Amino acid sequence: MTTSTEQSLGAEATAPEMGMAPIRREHRTVASYLLMPVFLALVCLGLYLYVQSKELDTIEQRALNASRLGTAGWEHVQLTIVSTIFVILIAIPLGVFLTRPFTRRFRGVLLTVANIGQALPTIGVLALFAVAFVFIGFKAAIVGLVAYTVLPVLRNTMVGLQQVDENVLEAGRGMGISKMGVLTRIELPLAVPIILAGVRTALVINVGTAALATYINAGGLGDIIVAGLSTNRLTVQITGAVLTAVLALLVDYLAGIAEDVLRPKGL
Amino acid sequence: MSLWEFIEGRYDDLLQAGFDHIWLVGLSVLLCTVIGVGLGVATYQTNRPREIVLAVTSTFLTVPSFALFVLLIPPLGIGAPPVILALTMYGLLPVVRNTITGLREVDPSIVESAKGMGLGRAQRLTKIELPLAWPVIVTGVRVSALILVGIATIGAIVDGPGYGEFIFNGLARVGSPVAVNLVLAGMIGVIVVAIIFDVFFAVIAKLTTSRGIR
Amino acid sequence: MTNFGTVDGTAGRIMIRLENLRKEYPKEPKPAVDDLTLEIPEGEIVILVGPSGCGKTTTMKMINRIIEPTSGRIVVDDKDVTHEDPDQLRRRIGYVIQQIGLFPHQTIAENIATVPKLLGWDAKRIDARIDELLETVSMSPATYRNRYPKQLSGGQRQRVGVARALSGDPAVMLMDEPFGAIDPITRDRLQNEFLRLQAEVRKTIVFVTHDIDEAIKMGDRIAILEEGSRIAQYDTPEQILTAPASDFVADFIGAGASLKRLNLSRVRDIQLTEWPTVARNADGAAVLDALRASDKGCALVLDEQRRPCRWVSAADVQRGDGRAIDEIGLPPDAVVEPQATLNDALNELITANYSVAIVVDAAGVYQGIVDIDHINEAIRGMRTAARAKARAGLVEDRDEDLLTKGTTT
Repeated sequence: MTTSTEQSLGAEATAPEMGMAPIRREHRTVASYLLMPVFLALVCLGLYLYVQSKELDTIEQRALNASRLGTAGWEHVQLTIVSTIFVILIAIPLGVFLTRPFTRRFRGVLLTVANIGQALPTIGVLALFAVAFVFIGFKAAIVGLVAYTVLPVLRNTMVGLQQVDENVLEAGRGMGISKMGVLTRIELPLAVPIILAGVRTALVINVGTAALATYINAGGLGDIIVAGLSTNRLTVQITGAVLTAVLALLVDYLAGIAEDVLRPKGL
Repeated sequence: MSLWEFIEGRYDDLLQAGFDHIWLVGLSVLLCTVIGVGLGVATYQTNRPREIVLAVTSTFLTVPSFALFVLLIPPLGIGAPPVILALTMYGLLPVVRNTITGLREVDPSIVESAKGMGLGRAQRLTKIELPLAWPVIVTGVRVSALILVGIATIGAIVDGPGYGEFIFNGLARVGSPVAVNLVLAGMIGVIVVAIIFDVFFAVIAKLTTSRGIR
Repeated sequence: MTNFGTVDGTAGRIMIRLENLRKEYPKEPKPAVDDLTLEIPEGEIVILVGPSGCGKTTTMKMINRIIEPTSGRIVVDDKDVTHEDPDQLRRRIGYVIQQIGLFPHQTIAENIATVPKLLGWDAKRIDARIDELLETVSMSPATYRNRYPKQLSGGQRQRVGVARALSGDPAVMLMDEPFGAIDPITRDRLQNEFLRLQAEVRKTIVFVTHDIDEAIKMGDRIAILEEGSRIAQYDTPEQILTAPASDFVADFIGAGASLKRLNLSRVRDIQLTEWPTVARNADGAAVLDALRASDKGCALVLDEQRRPCRWVSAADVQRGDGRAIDEIGLPPDAVVEPQATLNDALNELITANYSVAIVVDAAGVYQGIVDIDHINEAIRGMRTAARAKARAGLVEDRDEDLLTKGTTT
């Protein structure tokens, strides 16, 4: 039985949050790959029919035209992708750096901070930058998202590298592979599944938090929801919310496929 | 006005928001635990239902909270009810997942010897399997509570009680001097609530786990 | 083909009777247990032994219906239990498995109390039973009652496993490789302790192992099983060693059948050697007197309860220079109890200082000495018997391959 500390630091395959016990995922069948896209398509169709069935007033018409929805969606995707790319560029090298032997002394503290940091609400991080520096807009949203989601990727990179079997590393060095070679040819490939899980976590958090970016004038599908809330138009609210949810599930689904494809064979 | 003066001035409001935040999350965690452990117990021995339960609860957690809160307005209105339902949905995965893992990790030879001694299915579950899986389950509940403390903040969008109110009020006043204090006070409040839950479940885990498996 | 294992009239009443028992698994062409009929007499240890995959464990687990039979009947204590509530049945049958399976979250006392609680005993009776059982397996109740399994050694866990299986005072016990996960030295000791315990409690025991040596040592009766739980031979260890019923049985016993018989003779069955002994409060002169009166090189010092405490030789007395005789010489090693087999005694005395094993009773009181001559004599006797049997085969049938088997053993 694992202890709670191991649990909270333990690497999990797909858990979008820390501390969940790992469950080995069985091999997916083609049918299960199709399940989510079909479900999402049906939701979109249902939404379309629902909106079509309504008599839209001018406010609703203005909020729900195709170009407005398209722009909001595209902004949302940009927020998600750009922030995640920055997270990857920052967190993975930092994770590699922090697992080198000379950092051993403060590694434990760092992991603890990374864990606690995740208990903070995402909206709080976005809001803090906005109110403290009067920093709003797309760039501000990216900074807020990156600041928050660096943590899970950093943590998984460190955990992933640390859980590589010492014997394997020793065998590698014993065969005369350089330190750099051991890192790139043994450590990183073996850590890939856990790092990927961290990146997927970051993506899911980013796509969800990007919905709140509207509160700091950074656009995204949150714009539609807020427009609906502020004008008290249910159809608009629901359209925004459903599209946000569909986008998030789609991103997670694609990330899951990427995870399966990128995972080294034999792991 | 310094943060300290702000907190002193709004002390009653902050305390009230703290209580609200705690009961909101506490009630949701309780619901998650009851439903999650139940689902875990019902499905851990079967493959198909187990995968379905895990897939559905992890899909819940993928839906952005902002979207889910708004989608719950038509059936439940605004205020605490949609927040509690949404939080319960979000908190299920860690509990279900850890319940299933904990129960599946129980050494089969222990279960077999219990069976061989004449303990029936229900007795094996309540006297042997659940107590042995308990530390893992409590960890799941603890993780769930921490996630919910954060997400409950977003509930302010649908007028849910708690510290989210302060943060969103702050956001609405970007540029004004009080904005920073509102957001900071809200954040500190959330952190305090998170620590309270974390310590509470650490103590619960310690008190309810047999010395034999610590 | 019949698949019968019945016992003759000399055995006691039949406690367990398996009738045409059959177990088939879907997707497997051959049955795991093929129409087995087996009688298990009351108060005996019956060993099911055979190569892995022969169905011995499946057979045993059908008795308490951990595995449900496909067809056939199980009769325990004159009652057909094939369709009885399995939980009720299992509370009356002790069960010990290789991994022991103690409940790690419960204390030793709670572990042992499991079945008595299920049987609805009152707290006082359960408490007394826990103490009694811990005493029986040589563990002090005061020390161990409130410990958890993780605080015990492997051997102690095994003892608690046995105590727990005995807790409801079942007439029948099932044991699945109970000593399988224990180191060889501890295993020997636990086997002997268990045999002593069985001499007191006289349970009907079905015991599964893959180890023929363990089967010979522990069994009153052995069923050697082939694939499909087919009985190759069902008989006493002596008969199986003397007259293997088939090539399969002979192969399974393996080489050295006569040495294996050392497992059949027990120390209590042979005449022990007299040895010079002196009391602990005697002096060096008394030791020398005792040695002069015998042809041995050393004397055994006994304490007030006549328990061995020292080996002292003449040279020790001289070197000892007047010190008390329990401070000179060597500590007594190679101590065995009367129920130990000659094989145990041989293993002990090979490594002992004076190449003899000291025999003591359960309280540790000195009984006598086993030396290498005893063992030699026993082996010689067995070889003579084996040779006689082989030559008998020579007269009856020259082509019998028993001939080659007999002379090579």
